[in-house]
Amino acid sequence: MISKKEQRIVAIVWIIGIIVVWELLSFLLKNVIHDPMAATKLPYLHTVAMTFFENWKTLLEAGAVTFSRAAIGFALGASVGIILAVLMSLSKTMERIAFPYLIVSQMIPVLGLAPIIFNIVRDMNVSRIFIAAYITFFPVAVNMLSGLKSVEQDKKDLLFSISANKFKVYQKLMFPYSMSYLFTGLKIAAPMAVTASILVDMLGSQSGIGVKILYSLYSNSTNIFWASVFTSAFMGIISFYIVIFAERLCLPWQNAVPGKEGVRA
Amino acid sequence: MKSKVANLLWPLAFGIALILAWQFGLLHKMLALKPFQLPVPSEIASTLAANLPKALKDCGVTISGALIGLIIGSSMGFMIAAIATFFPKWGYGGLIVVTALNAVPIVALSPIMNLWFSTGMEQKIGVVTVVCMAAMAINAYSGLNNLKPHSIDLMYSVAANKWTIFRKLRLPNSLPYIFTATKINIASAIIAAIISEYFASSTSGLGFGIKDNLRKAEMAMGWSYIVVASLAGVILYCIILLVERDALKWHASQK
Amino acid sequence: MNAPEIQIKNVSMVYPVNNGEDIVALNDVNLDIQEGEFISLLGPSGCGKTTLLRIIADLNKPTSGSVSIRGQSPRDIRLQRKNGIVFQTPVLYDWRTVRRNICMPMEIMGVPKKERTARINQMLDLVELRDFGDKYPFELSGGMQQRVGIARALALNPEFLLMDEPFSALDEFTREKLNEDLLSIWSKTKKTVIFVTHNIPESVFLSDRVVVLSPHPGRISAIVDINLPRPRNNSIRETPEFYDYVTKIRRSFEGV
Repeated sequence: MISKKEQRIVAIVWIIGIIVVWELLSFLLKNVIHDPMAATKLPYLHTVAMTFFENWKTLLEAGAVTFSRAAIGFALGASVGIILAVLMSLSKTMERIAFPYLIVSQMIPVLGLAPIIFNIVRDMNVSRIFIAAYITFFPVAVNMLSGLKSVEQDKKDLLFSISANKFKVYQKLMFPYSMSYLFTGLKIAAPMAVTASILVDMLGSQSGIGVKILYSLYSNSTNIFWASVFTSAFMGIISFYIVIFAERLCLPWQNAVPGKEGVRA
Repeated sequence: MKSKVANLLWPLAFGIALILAWQFGLLHKMLALKPFQLPVPSEIASTLAANLPKALKDCGVTISGALIGLIIGSSMGFMIAAIATFFPKWGYGGLIVVTALNAVPIVALSPIMNLWFSTGMEQKIGVVTVVCMAAMAINAYSGLNNLKPHSIDLMYSVAANKWTIFRKLRLPNSLPYIFTATKINIASAIIAAIISEYFASSTSGLGFGIKDNLRKAEMAMGWSYIVVASLAGVILYCIILLVERDALKWHASQK
Repeated sequence: MNAPEIQIKNVSMVYPVNNGEDIVALNDVNLDIQEGEFISLLGPSGCGKTTLLRIIADLNKPTSGSVSIRGQSPRDIRLQRKNGIVFQTPVLYDWRTVRRNICMPMEIMGVPKKERTARINQMLDLVELRDFGDKYPFELSGGMQQRVGIARALALNPEFLLMDEPFSALDEFTREKLNEDLLSIWSKTKKTVIFVTHNIPESVFLSDRVVVLSPHPGRISAIVDINLPRPRNNSIRETPEFYDYVTKIRRSFEGV
C-alpha cells in the first residue's frame, strides 16, 4: 500500500510533469511546426496563468454567477432525488412505477434538451436551475435508493425487536446508513450540475463563465478564452471536492469503509 | 409470476397516463404552457414520420461519431488503467489526474476541439473520446485491482508472473466494471456528441438539427430529434445489456 | 415449581419452496422455559434453532402452534420492549460511537437524557469497556464489538435476553472469555436467557438446560439438564463431569 504522503508527492510530480509537457508542446507547435494558429490551439501555460491573474476578478465573478445557479439546481435536484428514493423505499408500487422511468430518463439527452427547455420557460435562470436539478436528481435518487435497500435485515430486526415506529427506523437507521451512498451520488452529480450550468450559459445567457468562453472565442481573445476554460474546469473539480469535504465532515466513521462503487446509469 | 406482471403493468399504466395527459393538454395547463411551446405527442409523431429519412440520417451521423469516440476513448481509458495497474506507485498518481479530468465540464472542451479539428466529425469524436476516457479509466482500474482476498496469493503460490496474473485474474475480474463503464459512457457519449454539434461548424447531426429547428421555431421537429436520440440511446443500452448477460454468466449480478 | 414463563406449544414453521417440496424448519416443537433460566438451543445448521428464537422474539410468525410468554403473545412482549436481542454479528451502527450505540434503544423508548448517561456508564462497566465509550465500532476488535452488542441488549433492562449464536464468529480464546463474562453478567442481572449455538462445550458451560434440536425436519431430539455447580468459571471445562455432559450430547447426535 502506498502511503498518503507518497501519494501526494506522486500527484505533485504528475502535475509538474503535465505542465512541462504542455509548455514543450506549445513550443514545438509554435517554433518547430510553425503553426500560424499556435497561440490559439495551445498557448503557453504561463501566459494563460498570467491572463488569469490579470483578469481574475471578472473571471471569478462570471464563475460565481454560473456556480451559484448550479448550486441552487444541485440542491433542488438532490432534494427531489432523496424524496423520490424514500418514497420508492417506502412503497413497492411506487418503486415499480418510478424505477423504469428513472433509467429511461437517463437515456434522454438532457443536456441536449437545454435549448428546448430554454424555449419553454423563456427564462435563463429558471432553465439553468431546472437542467442542473434534472441532472442531479438521477444519480442522487439511484444511489440513495440502493443505500436504503442495502440496510442489513439484522439492523432492522434490532429496531423491530424494541418496536420502533417507521419514523424512528428511518431517523435512527435508514438515513444514517444511506448517507455514504447519498454522498457517492452527490459526488457524481456535482460536476454534472456545473456542466449543465455552463452549457446553459453558452446557449445565450447574459452572464456567466460560459458566456465568457464563447465571446472570447468569437472575438479572438485567445488568452481570455483559455483562462475561462481553465476557470470552468476548476469549477467542476472544486464542486467535486466540496462534496468530498462535506462527506468527511458529516461521516467521520467512514474512514474505515473502503470506497463504494457508485451507480450512474 | 404475479409480481412480474405488476412490474410491467404499473409503469406501463403510468406512461400511458402521462402521454394522454400530455396529448390532451393537461400537462400544458399544469405547467402553464402554450401548445407552440410544447408540441403534443401526436404532432411530434406525425412530424417525425414525415421527416424520417432526414432524422435517421442525422441520427446516423451523431451516433457514428459517438460510437467511434466511445471506442477510442474506452480503449485509451483501459490502457491508462492497465498501465496504472502495472506501475502502481506512479500510475495511481496518473489516475488521480484522470479523475480530476472527469470533473472537467465537457462543454468547455468542445470549443477547444473546434480549434484543433477542421471537420465536425473529428471534433465530435475528440470530445466524446475525452469524455469516455475518464469513466473507463476509473472503473477499469477498480476492476483490475478490487480482487477477492487471497486470489493474488493463490497466483503467487504457483509463481505466476505479472502478465499471467493480469490475464488470468485481473482481466476477468475487471469485466463487470468495464460493462458498468460502458453503460455510463453510452449515455454520456450521445450527450457529448449532441452538445459538440451545438458549437461546431457542422451542418448535420442531431445537435445541429435540434438547434436549427428551434431557431426556425419548428418545435415539433426539434422534439422528434430528441425522441430519435433517446431511442438510439435506449437501443444501444439494451444491446450492451444483452452482450453483458452473455459475457458475465458467472457474475452474481446476473442471477 | 412455578408456572413456566415461556410456553411453546406445537410450534411448526414451514417455508414454501417453488418446486413443491416445502422446507419444514420446525416440526411440532413443545418447550417450557422457567423464569431466570439459562437455556441453550443447540443443533447443526438447518435444525431451526434460530427460527425458534426468532419466533419467540416475534421476528417470525410460526406457521402453526403458539408461543405464550407470561400469558401474553410474543408481539405483546415485543411492543412492551421486554426483549434484548444479540445477533450473530454485532450489528453495530457504524456511524455511532460505542456510547451512542448502547444509547440507541433508549432513544427509541424515550428514556430521559440524564438516565441514559447513567445507564450507559453502568453498561460499559458491566461489559468492561469503560475506556472505549467514545470509539467507533471499526476501532474495536470483534470480541469488543460483540460485548457492545450485549451491553446494548441489556441497556433497556429487558426481561428476556435472546442471543443468536453471538460468539460463533469469534476465535476460541475470545469465545471462552466471553462465555465466562456472560455468566457473570447473567448472575448479576438474573434475566431469562435463550442462547442459540452450535458449539456443544459452550452450551454445556453456560446453561441450566440444553435443548438439542435435529434437522430435516427441525425438532427437539433431547433436553439435557446440566447440573454443574454455579458460579462456573473456565476451569470447570477440565472436570470429568463437564466432559461427560459434552460426550452425552454428542452421542445424542450420532443416534439421530
